[in-house]
Amino acid sequence: MSESANTTVRVEGVSKQYDLGGTVTALDDVSLDLSAGSYTAVMGPSGSGKSTLLNLIGGLDTPSSGQVVVNGQDVSAASEAERADIRGTEVGFVFQTFNLMPRLSAVENVALPLVFDGWDRARRRERSVSLLSEVGLADRTDHVPSELSGGQRQRVAIARALSTDPALILADEPTGNVDTDTGAQILDLFDDLHAAGNTFLLVTHERHVAERAERIVHVEDGHIQSVEDVSGGQD
Amino acid sequence: MDTGESVRITLRSIRAHKLRSALTVVGVVIGIASVITFATFGASVEAEIVGDIETSNAGNIYVFGTPSGDDDFDRTLQPVFTEYDIQQLEGITGVQAVLPRGTVQTQSVRHGDQTLARQQVTAIRPASINDGVLVDGRSFETDEEAVVVNERMARSFSENLTTGERLTMTMPDGGERNVTVVGVVNGTRGEVPVSEFARQPRVYVPIDPFYDSVVESPSAGVRQRAYPQVTLVVDPRAIPETQSAIQTYLSGNSDARSLSADDTELVARSGNDFVEEISDVIERITRFVTGIAVIALVVGAIGIANVMLVSVTERTREIGIMKAVGARNRDVMQVFLVEAALLGTIGSLLGVPLGLLVGYGATRYAEVTFSLAPLWMALAVAVGVLVGVVAGLYPAWRAARVDPIDALRHE
Ligand SMILES: Nc1ncnc2c1ncn2[C@@H]1O[C@H](COP(=O)(O)OP(=O)(O)O)[C@@H](O)[C@H]1O
Ligand SMILES: [Mg+2]
Repeated sequence: MSESANTTVRVEGVSKQYDLGGTVTALDDVSLDLSAGSYTAVMGPSGSGKSTLLNLIGGLDTPSSGQVVVNGQDVSAASEAERADIRGTEVGFVFQTFNLMPRLSAVENVALPLVFDGWDRARRRERSVSLLSEVGLADRTDHVPSELSGGQRQRVAIARALSTDPALILADEPTGNVDTDTGAQILDLFDDLHAAGNTFLLVTHERHVAERAERIVHVEDGHIQSVEDVSGGQD
Repeated sequence: MDTGESVRITLRSIRAHKLRSALTVVGVVIGIASVITFATFGASVEAEIVGDIETSNAGNIYVFGTPSGDDDFDRTLQPVFTEYDIQQLEGITGVQAVLPRGTVQTQSVRHGDQTLARQQVTAIRPASINDGVLVDGRSFETDEEAVVVNERMARSFSENLTTGERLTMTMPDGGERNVTVVGVVNGTRGEVPVSEFARQPRVYVPIDPFYDSVVESPSAGVRQRAYPQVTLVVDPRAIPETQSAIQTYLSGNSDARSLSADDTELVARSGNDFVEEISDVIERITRFVTGIAVIALVVGAIGIANVMLVSVTERTREIGIMKAVGARNRDVMQVFLVEAALLGTIGSLLGVPLGLLVGYGATRYAEVTFSLAPLWMALAVAVGVLVGVVAGLYPAWRAARVDPIDALRHE
């Protein structure tokens, strides 16, 4: 695989088992590298282990075995507090269900990672307002999520994912809860952000969404089946 | 994480559940309010009574019999202090004046066409009423058919009693005595100790010719007047010595000792003893009420803990979100501790004014001047915050331990 100098993510022989009475193997000996500035889609049927892979890379969960290194930091060996810091500063999550704080305004939601990263209030607000205008929500800064459409909520979530300027953006079915047109707009926004130099890992079960990436990693039953280069992928 | 932000998140959450939050803090409000009520009331009573005695009565020694020994407020009112005892007491070094006091039975007191039944009529020596207590007129003289009333009594009639007016006292045998009011005294000052704190209307009459409780004096061998209570004015520079000399006489060969029941203790108490006694009673009441308040606060703490546990469950997803964007366990803990502390603070901030209000009402009812207890107020607020924090510890710990993956799947 590619050399480690511009490797943002390195997944090395990772397995994950869940114990629920019986043992469920969600991932089995998965290895994958993401280079800086790349755009990768993980595709596979429901239950194939896509979200599990994304959560392990993002430090939300720890592998049963194997190693995950993000931006030079060994997530799999990190303490709970270190993983919290990695989640806050090295990665930005975008979820299918948006996952915004319901009683915080758009600008406060975008600023939340900065709160935990120790920014002062004035700088938090400045950065969040500028990110919201970058995603086209300059006029919605003080609205709470319930006052926003699905597409607008996902834009707030994307702005939040960008707030600490992370090495990697992890998106789990980001278009799964919005209509086709809105989904297309969100994917267009991803293309712009990718063009601006951000590294993306996107999980989806839909071919047309996966095709927006440079590369598609096909997953089935916790295994990587194949890696496909998308000819004529977006620039 | 910065406290301002956790307070902001918390206030949003409390505002989203106004009713629930309000019900939650009721226990704390009641606990804090009762402490403040009684602290305020106690401080007011103490300030007033202690102030009274300290300003005018520090050099007074009160002599009376008490059946239970250790409780100065439980007194026998048997007339056991004879004229012979009075003379002996007058002879003790340091005693400047001896002022005996007795009760004169009456059926009623009439002024104009208004009759008041069962009024307290107290027989005293003319010297007991001095310029310090008089607000109008003068004291009566021995053998004079005259009375002095306190202000409360003067106001008891629809037309205020004033100096120079006439009163008619109906005696137990039905006979009537017409007397002239020669003076009005302020009931809160003067020599009379505990009986005055009730601020009852009072009529004072000269022992001669109104008081006629007589016994045979064992020492003098003749029948003479005897009194249930005696006040002595002593040299303020020699209170302890004089007090113990008086006590020695009373416990020794006094008529009062011979005339009292064996288990009755004869005591000589100084004004300072009363101050201590009263402070003691107030302290005991305060301790009792504090005990009740602690129970209320424990109930309040359980209420807060319960609601916080519900809140943690309801906000599991929010905990997951916070963790996904970089919150450490202690950040999550802080958010929930701040919420619990804020509930406790709101409870005590509501409890303090409520307690002050009820305390103020109590002082009005007891007719004492209202005094604040600022130390207790500060303490109450601190306790409220502490109750919140303690109640929030376990729920906050539970919140901090929530697994982010499980939390994000929640609902
Ligand atoms: N927290 C968990 N506890 C138990 N089983 C889980 C958990 N997360 C995922 N799984 C199981 O692991 C497998 C992969 O799940 P997931 O990664 O969510 O799949 P996908 O995102 O591809 O739909 C599934 O069988 C799922 O039931
Ligand atoms: Mg999934």
